[in-house]
Amino acid sequence: MNNTATKSGQEIDSIPVRLLETIKGLFRVPEFVMFLVVVILFIIGAVMNPRFAGIENQKILTRDAAILAIAAIGVGFTIITAGIDLSIGSIVGFGGVFAALFVVRLGMPIWLGITLTLAMGALIGTFHGWYVTRFNMHGFLVTLVTLGVARGVLLVVTNATPITGVPDGFKFLGQGYLFFDLIPVPVIICAIVAGLAYYLLQFTYIGRQIYAAGGNIEATRLSGVNVNARIMLCYIISVVCATLVGIIQAGRLSLGHPGAGEGFELLAITACILGGLSLMGGQGSVIGILVGSLLIAVLQNEMVMLNINPFWHKIVIGAVLLIAITFDYARRRRRS
Amino acid sequence: MEKQPLLKIEQVSKYFPGVQALDSVDFEVYSGEILGFLGENGAGKSTLIKILSGIHLKNEGTIWFDGQQINPQTPHESQKLGISTIHQELALVPYLTVAENIFLNREPRHILGLVDFKRMNREAEALLRDLGADISGHKLIQDLNVAAQQMVEIAKAISYNARLILMDEPTSALSSKEVTALFALMQRLKERNVSVVFVSHRLDEIRQIVDRVIIMRDGRRVGALPIAEATEQKIIRMMVGRDVGLFPKEEANIGPPVLELRNLAAQNGTKGINLTVRKGEIVGLAGLVGAGRTELARLICGVDSLAEGKILIDEKHVKIKSPTDAVRYGIGWVPEDRKLHGLILGMDVQENATMAILHRISNILGAINGKEAKEISAHYVEALSIVTPGLHQTVRNLSGGNQQKVVLAKWLSTKPKLLIMDEPTRGIDIGAKAEVHGLMSRLAQQGMGILMISSEMPEIIGMSDRVIVMCQGRITGEFARGDFNQEEIMRCATQFLTVDGETMAEAEAMDTLEEN
Repeated sequence: MNNTATKSGQEIDSIPVRLLETIKGLFRVPEFVMFLVVVILFIIGAVMNPRFAGIENQKILTRDAAILAIAAIGVGFTIITAGIDLSIGSIVGFGGVFAALFVVRLGMPIWLGITLTLAMGALIGTFHGWYVTRFNMHGFLVTLVTLGVARGVLLVVTNATPITGVPDGFKFLGQGYLFFDLIPVPVIICAIVAGLAYYLLQFTYIGRQIYAAGGNIEATRLSGVNVNARIMLCYIISVVCATLVGIIQAGRLSLGHPGAGEGFELLAITACILGGLSLMGGQGSVIGILVGSLLIAVLQNEMVMLNINPFWHKIVIGAVLLIAITFDYARRRRRS
Repeated sequence: MEKQPLLKIEQVSKYFPGVQALDSVDFEVYSGEILGFLGENGAGKSTLIKILSGIHLKNEGTIWFDGQQINPQTPHESQKLGISTIHQELALVPYLTVAENIFLNREPRHILGLVDFKRMNREAEALLRDLGADISGHKLIQDLNVAAQQMVEIAKAISYNARLILMDEPTSALSSKEVTALFALMQRLKERNVSVVFVSHRLDEIRQIVDRVIIMRDGRRVGALPIAEATEQKIIRMMVGRDVGLFPKEEANIGPPVLELRNLAAQNGTKGINLTVRKGEIVGLAGLVGAGRTELARLICGVDSLAEGKILIDEKHVKIKSPTDAVRYGIGWVPEDRKLHGLILGMDVQENATMAILHRISNILGAINGKEAKEISAHYVEALSIVTPGLHQTVRNLSGGNQQKVVLAKWLSTKPKLLIMDEPTRGIDIGAKAEVHGLMSRLAQQGMGILMISSEMPEIIGMSDRVIVMCQGRITGEFARGDFNQEEIMRCATQFLTVDGETMAEAEAMDTLEEN
């Protein structure tokens, strides 16, 4: 009796109930909740300063978000394998300086300079991956070394002075627009990187195996998966993405600056964590990383637009991270 | 048993979201009694133990301990009352010493407030000696084997003046020799009038040591029996509510060799191994824990590397350098510790079941054929009757038996020629155990060669076509079906190279135990 009553009751209001369930379900998706935060921040910004939502500011905002997102996606790969890549801050500087060096000082064509720089990045990533897999070492250690050494190399190579005079084609990568001068080029590059990363992680066996290695490396290895190759790939992707960010930054600044990208590793890692990646590995998505990067970019842009003292920026970002991780851990504890 | 029970539980119920774990359960333990607490996984044993040890709170009912009504809210509170729990996973700090672990948080102090290490070690050793264990108080926990660690846990419990010790599957990680020692210890506890509640899935063991059994099924108490009346058949029937035919090994045609090992030796301690597994044959690998059986499996699967010798698959010499090679040659390994080596707990049934064939079911761009993945995993979920709400259920939420079947599904989907099964039924309930055994028979009939590592004698004797015994990394005996003899197998398993007085005495003690 009771059963039938509830059943017919469910049928009567089934559409609203189902809608409610769908909405409830959405709130359980961390990426969606983060996206709501972004929307709220955006509305606050637009209300406080009308110029915030204006097209010129949006071009700046999306470009910042895209540049951060490319680096964050790279680092995200290593975080999914339960590792990390701390080197990317210095690698951003490395990418900009070496691309500028090849193009300006050695007079290479732009495409060659960029390809060569990315290839060097891939080599550094291979080195990281080799250390991590060969010695079963946490990525933290070897990438911490690179964080220091790469910055030092930049200072030595440039004698601490920026390399100026990059050609217009190079600048286009950071400053240009496509599609009726509306979409910044970095946003398009980011879309391509994110699309490839999404495909790799979501649809291919390699992606599944990367998540599996992050979830339980031994079980994955014993299933016959070449775990070392997968981890190596993640470290290569990480450095290559950061190198790419360096090249874009150099285009944007019109110079290769040896100090570029300082502290960028923390921003990128923060974006990943805001986007729902777990430092324990095996979890997270490219969508999440994009939302996380957008959140940071909106926050930073808003603080500028609202004339908040720049000295406060890092404190605010840190506070947001603290709130995010607290919520995340509370959610996880409730679930288990 | 007319005397007043030490612990008396009346009508205790416990609800979890969506399940009633305990339904008006009565339970009692008398002073100085060893009580066997039985039931399939999910029957509610662990829940009751967790309520007593203060980890879960009961929803209804009353608990009396030593004449007083209690309701422990934290593990600490329950310990203070005199109830100690030895959990399945030991709770010791690996980097601290034995004595530091026993006296954690109540270290004896000097006048200045510094820890009096001398006194602490002395007291720890005295406690352990009382229990018949000769372990130095200075030793680090990580340097001890599981059995010794358990002794330390028990010593710690005793040092809290525990009057009731709850042991949740303490023997699942022990060799028979160590189990014998644990039972001797339980006897000594009994003499001191300490009560023990002993949870185990090994019925033969239970019957050796306990005075009485209480049996649970689906959150209810289905009965209690004094041990004299508790035959194995009777217990099993009460546990599962039906008769279960264990070990339904059926005849299979035995064909040419699938796996041949010639003079295998390696760094991991295995020496001079010659072994053959044929198509359709189940070869049981018997021995004590630490005899080198898992190490041998690691060699065959390419986890550890060979120093000497040859591996032949289908009578052809192969070089297996990594698990990837092993999978390619058609070798599957259902490992002993499914959570550590078999499954990715955070992934779902489908992802786990297809883990070893992802590459095979992907197209040229690397994209996984989702439809095929779904079909394959759905097929094995049905064929192995895996109980799951769906293919996208996270395997962490499945019961032990179903998790084990997911591991099996992963390997069966690779269509292996040889399946190595390391303790295939450890920690899974009796119903699932029978299913796994039935499945092994069917696989052998289909022509698969199976190498089964097991520490459970009935399983070895019931399932194997041939038994090979290992001790200290060597093969010490081989028996054909029909010549199986429990005592002989045990004798081979304890054929230690250095025969000192101690090992001999222990081997003899075990022989008499087996005879009883």
